[in-house]
Amino acid sequence: MTATSYEPQAFPRPRRTHDPAWALHWGIWLLVVALIVGPFVPLLYASLRDRPLYEAGGVLTVQPYRQLFGDSAFWDAWGNTLMFASLTTLMAVLGGALIAILVTRTDLVGRKTLGRLTLLPILLPSLGMVLGWLVIWGPGGYLTAMFSDRLHLPTLAIDTIPGMAVVEATRLLPIAFLTCQAALSRADSSLEDAARSAGARPVRVLSSITIPMLRPALLNAATLIFTLSIAALGIPLLLGTSNNIVFVSSYLYNTWTNASTPDPGSVSAGAVMMLLVATALLVLRNRLLGAEARFVSVGGKSGRQALLRLRKWRWPLAGLLSFYLVFTTLVPVLGLALMSFVVVLTPLVPPWELLTSAHWNVLLDDETFRRSIENSAIIAVVGAVGTTAFVALATLVAHRSGFRFRRTLPFLMLYPRATPGIIIGIGFFWAYLLTGAFGDYMRGSIWGIMLAFCVRNLPLAYIVMYPTLARIGEELDRAGRAAGAGWWRTSRSIVLPLLKPAIFASFILMFVEIINDYDPAVFLVKPGTEVMGATMLAQFIQGAVGPVSALAMVQVAITVVVLSIGAKLFKIGVTGGDHGA
Amino acid sequence: MPEIHVENLVKEFGDQRALDDVSFEVREGELFTLLGPSGCGKSTTLMSIAGFQHPESGRIAVGDETFVDAARRIAVPAEQRNLGIVFQSYAVWPHMTVFENLAFPLKVRKLKRAAIRTRVREVLELVEMLQYEQRYPHQLSGGQQQRVALARALVYSPTILLLDEPFSNLDAKLRERARAWVKELQRTLGLTTIFVTHDQDEALSMSDRVAVMSAGEIQQIGTPEEIYRHPANRFVAEFVGRVNLIEGLVSANEGGGVLVDVTGSPLHLSVRDGAGASGSITIAVRPEAVTVLRLDDNSSNGTNTWEADVETVAFLGDHYEYEVNAGSVALTVQSSRRVEGDRIKVHIPPDACALVE
Ligand SMILES: Nc1ncnc2c1ncn2[C@@H]1O[C@H](COP(=O)(O)OP(=O)(O)OP(=O)(O)O)[C@@H](O)[C@H]1O
Ligand SMILES: [Mg+2]
Repeated sequence: MTATSYEPQAFPRPRRTHDPAWALHWGIWLLVVALIVGPFVPLLYASLRDRPLYEAGGVLTVQPYRQLFGDSAFWDAWGNTLMFASLTTLMAVLGGALIAILVTRTDLVGRKTLGRLTLLPILLPSLGMVLGWLVIWGPGGYLTAMFSDRLHLPTLAIDTIPGMAVVEATRLLPIAFLTCQAALSRADSSLEDAARSAGARPVRVLSSITIPMLRPALLNAATLIFTLSIAALGIPLLLGTSNNIVFVSSYLYNTWTNASTPDPGSVSAGAVMMLLVATALLVLRNRLLGAEARFVSVGGKSGRQALLRLRKWRWPLAGLLSFYLVFTTLVPVLGLALMSFVVVLTPLVPPWELLTSAHWNVLLDDETFRRSIENSAIIAVVGAVGTTAFVALATLVAHRSGFRFRRTLPFLMLYPRATPGIIIGIGFFWAYLLTGAFGDYMRGSIWGIMLAFCVRNLPLAYIVMYPTLARIGEELDRAGRAAGAGWWRTSRSIVLPLLKPAIFASFILMFVEIINDYDPAVFLVKPGTEVMGATMLAQFIQGAVGPVSALAMVQVAITVVVLSIGAKLFKIGVTGGDHGA
Repeated sequence: MPEIHVENLVKEFGDQRALDDVSFEVREGELFTLLGPSGCGKSTTLMSIAGFQHPESGRIAVGDETFVDAARRIAVPAEQRNLGIVFQSYAVWPHMTVFENLAFPLKVRKLKRAAIRTRVREVLELVEMLQYEQRYPHQLSGGQQQRVALARALVYSPTILLLDEPFSNLDAKLRERARAWVKELQRTLGLTTIFVTHDQDEALSMSDRVAVMSAGEIQQIGTPEEIYRHPANRFVAEFVGRVNLIEGLVSANEGGGVLVDVTGSPLHLSVRDGAGASGSITIAVRPEAVTVLRLDDNSSNGTNTWEADVETVAFLGDHYEYEVNAGSVALTVQSSRRVEGDRIKVHIPPDACALVE
């Protein structure tokens, strides 16, 4: 050892008062509770009153429920919704599992790229995609007309419940795909290898080992997809209207917007009922997740896996998958693009003879459209920054603090994932009504809508951030504490910098989700606070299909550009948005 | 440098008791080792001292400062305990350079830039890492990272130093060098240190005193020699070093020791330990304490000298290892002597026998 000038020195001790950990923990926790539980309290209250909350007086009553349950249309709507959700779940789960197996366990041609593209539908604007389906495959759609009128071929009737389920299933299939893919890559492939060496043929291995292994993942994905499809609003409004097919969400929407005397009591009662169903499903899903964790073979890091050889099916199956992707993603987007540039979309006249820039001019000239784009952009940027920052802190409190109630945070932060957007919208509507000057300000500005969007989407930010945080060894922050830094200083200087990649991924995802979101806003928009999604819905119902398509294309373009910038800059695969978790 | 008092620590995880009434004292300037198998509660003890685990009951004090007193609801936050700690994973912050890693604790203590600069360089020089100050951790070898971790724990002059298996990620050669180096550093600085390991060689070679733990309880505390030569019980005897266990029945007490009838054999063993013991007992004998003799060698006086069949002899570089059977008693013997023949004599010195049960 070299001679040294090291001497023990008496350095000043760090002071407790310099670290605001205590205040931060409580502040963040209270804010999470207020934002997530807050909107549902007035909703419940509103459902139990004999008159709207904004009218003075009133008594507690179960009248709204009685009235709602007495309406046979409400029960029809439930019947439709459950049928739709079941069909959607069935198709999405089977499709997602199949593609996941093809992509992770076989030697399919181009499996990596195909796997990545499979994720796209869930990131594209959902309302715009429904519109795209409508202009192509709807009753008067371009290809419908071409096939049935010209070629006399049957087409997919997307204005029926099974048809609507197909559309929704293509959007939600990535969730099943991601869940199964994760389960497959986690699961120990030596189980499969063992069966192979015992002489089982590859297809046999697939059916007797791989698929049973997937069962927990399938159940988990099915519950989530079922929950999400119950909440679908754009599909019944855009596709169901012509055949008068009403879902619970559109029933509530119609009751709220169309009734001559607004009757929010029964709407709130319906919303509470939906909320209960969604909550029950979330609880069920938490149980299933526990079961899944037990199913995972410990340390099951699969090494090199022997891929199932498809032989002569390598190309045809890849072709089939590509066809599916083109059919469900590219065609609707192209339909939208075409629609936004022509006067009418019809196979009878070649599109280039009907070209027009009128729809796009509307976006620039019409006050409402222009403001929607501006507002959405502002909301998306501010909301994504805010949500990401807030969720990063809340995730730290949940998993890296000694805060007393930290264990409640993960459940709270995942809760909005199970909640239909329209219900979050109603909840915030009542919450703003009841909070005086603050509420008035929020209702009159775009920030009220932004807050609802942020709360609705924050579970995804948590889902992106938590796995990264879990990989940052706890000894790193303990070393910070031992070195004399308090909780906040340690978080700021050590944990948050290490969490950066997840923070960027979360920002990109939040931006995309918020700019494309619409259903929480439908009851909150006012002249001056329009956002793209809500404007599309309102304008579509008034028949402005061309400009709405142009607006949808704006959403698609922004989404694609932002996602690819995100992927380039921060090396986030599209998997950054792990919607499956 | 202060001493450390740990009194009656109890820590439970769910219904599992990770620490069961753990007490010990570490003297000023001493290197004190917690030794035990995986999962016995060493890290939990260390983390309780550091403030990352909160024991259900017990007391921890360093010098005249009480860190934890469950009864009085005292628990000083980790960041105010001012102790240096080196983790098993080193926990060198990957997004900071070596310099920044060391500067962080001083920044937290609000030192001036110039003062930080001087101090960091001083400590980097101490651990011979000055030329790496601008590197990032991923540009360093495991051994170098470990030095950085140690330097970071020393830079703010902690009152005590805690080391949680700091060498377990190093390869065998490097580990040996690191041990000697850390021990010397600790002695030079006179820093009161608690060291955690599951490696008995490490514990014996480095420590002033050792506490052997098992299943959340302390089995024995003593100097390495005491632990090795006079294990308090069977667990310690077996865990620390290799050992022959001989079971028997006390047949007589003889001046400061006992005479033992070996169970299931006509042999007797004279033991200079356990005066006053009676009934059935277990005797521990270290393999290197046994001597091997040729069958016709009569240099030993006959007590504790047994004839034995040689099963195997292995050459291990600096010694031979014999597996022998003296009647029904199987013994492992280590000796630098090679004695030819299938049948030999073994001699067990009475003062090499320790009563463990
Ligand atoms: N956070 C925790 N939650 C539940 N049980 C824990 C936790 N930390 C430790 N334990 C349990 O407490 C016991 C003691 O753990 P500890 O980490 O102190 O062991 P150790 O002696 O350091 O072992 P090793 O040599 O493997 O590091 C173990 O049985 C462990 O499973
Ligand atoms: Mg340990």
